[in-house]
Amino acid sequence: MGEVIVITSGKGGVGKTTTTANIGTGLALAGRKAVLIDTDIGLRNLDVVMGLENRIVYDLVDVVDGVCRVKQALIKDKRYDGLYLLPAAQTRDKSAVTPEQMINLINELKSEFDYIIIDCPAGIEQGFKNAIAGADKAIVVTTPEVSAVRDADRIVGLLEANELRNPKLLINRVRVDMVKRGDMMSIDDIIDILAIDLIGVVPDDEKIVISTNRGEPAVTDDKSLAGQAYRNVTKRLQGEDVPIMNLESEDGLIFKFKKLLGFKTT
Amino acid sequence: MDENAVTFKGTVNGLTIILKQDAGFDDIVNSLLIKINSAGKFFRGAKLAVKYRGRTLNQEERYELHELLKKESGAQILSFDEDMTENKLAETKPSSTERNNQIKKYTYFKGIEEGTTKFYRGTVRSGQLITFDGNLVVLGDVNPGAVIEATGNIVVMGLLRGVVHAGSNGNKDAIVAALGLNPTQLRIGDIITRSPDDEKGIGTNLIPELAYVREDKLFVERFLPQR
Repeated sequence: MGEVIVITSGKGGVGKTTTTANIGTGLALAGRKAVLIDTDIGLRNLDVVMGLENRIVYDLVDVVDGVCRVKQALIKDKRYDGLYLLPAAQTRDKSAVTPEQMINLINELKSEFDYIIIDCPAGIEQGFKNAIAGADKAIVVTTPEVSAVRDADRIVGLLEANELRNPKLLINRVRVDMVKRGDMMSIDDIIDILAIDLIGVVPDDEKIVISTNRGEPAVTDDKSLAGQAYRNVTKRLQGEDVPIMNLESEDGLIFKFKKLLGFKTT
Repeated sequence: MDENAVTFKGTVNGLTIILKQDAGFDDIVNSLLIKINSAGKFFRGAKLAVKYRGRTLNQEERYELHELLKKESGAQILSFDEDMTENKLAETKPSSTERNNQIKKYTYFKGIEEGTTKFYRGTVRSGQLITFDGNLVVLGDVNPGAVIEATGNIVVMGLLRGVVHAGSNGNKDAIVAALGLNPTQLRIGDIITRSPDDEKGIGTNLIPELAYVREDKLFVERFLPQR
């Protein structure tokens, strides 16, 4: 039976869709069979980030309305076997789907896939309720900003109220230099507030913007630091014990030079 | 007073009176009187089986309307009952989708040389859906994420970057033309095509082009050869 994981955050723009695309692709890279479901009806993005927009014929709403079968709506990824996307409808709104319909749909997909990753829309309304309806596990994405952490805290509370215990925390867009200067919340600060288990820390990386615009998830890029972080996240999801990447030691050449010249680096 | 509380409709089997669902009974009586009087001698001497629909009537109301019809119209009212056929029709519809599809094949929109046309002014943005039973002309751009569908031809006087479906009920002779033809997906009849993957999604080529289907293959060519 497949594992159903919802990627959520409350706040918009923290990287839910990017995370969904990267975790899904990472799982496919590891040879797992995964399906990504975009539940952001009316503001769909996952298809664009995956570079599959021009393949959409049927969508989530068509499936739950019985216009087509689930298999007809699933879009096969252009790079990896075993990776599929169920896109959201763009010309409808969140009320086109109910939580019950989501549960039925997920039950239908569970037998076919190892992982079902659900991309949740921002907010805590109907779209959020649809997205978490059939989930077994949750990953809460946040950035080191007070507002994002506040919203993440609200989401953790709502998830627990909906019987989704022990959500995992993914901290996105961390900038080590700013944390060092004390201008940004550190990982420990965030964990102190949210008090949930950490599943990954993803550094702020220009390459994410490039890969998102190209429709090729960063996880496939061996040189990308963010890609490495997402590869670690997928390993942890599969039960492997991978230590959290020490971002400070990855500062590269400048760091090494400073060390060589005897500058204080911490 | 609501003058449209009552509408008359002649049918093969007689006369059907369509009552407005939320109209008050007094409005219906008044409106019915006006309609009958304005019809003048039209009903006089006729034999009519009258049916009504759109609103339920209780025993008393039905009796009152029946009497009113007898008295005012001058026609011989054979019966006055609620029309049930409409409901039955709606019930049987979904089950016969397949048959409808077959019928569709022979009854698709044929006015692509000359026929009804909708003109849409402005940019069609992501999430917007424009559909029309006929030809469609968009005086503006069609952005990615937008969907435009027409049973006939589609002409976009701007950049076409969204999803476009011409001949949407089966006419493969329909065409798509645009000043800049860069659709996410292009469909004509039941043929679905998309641009090649190596091309960049955000195209800005402003060459007037025309897409059509021959022998189930999609062709795209310039329609102004000299430019």
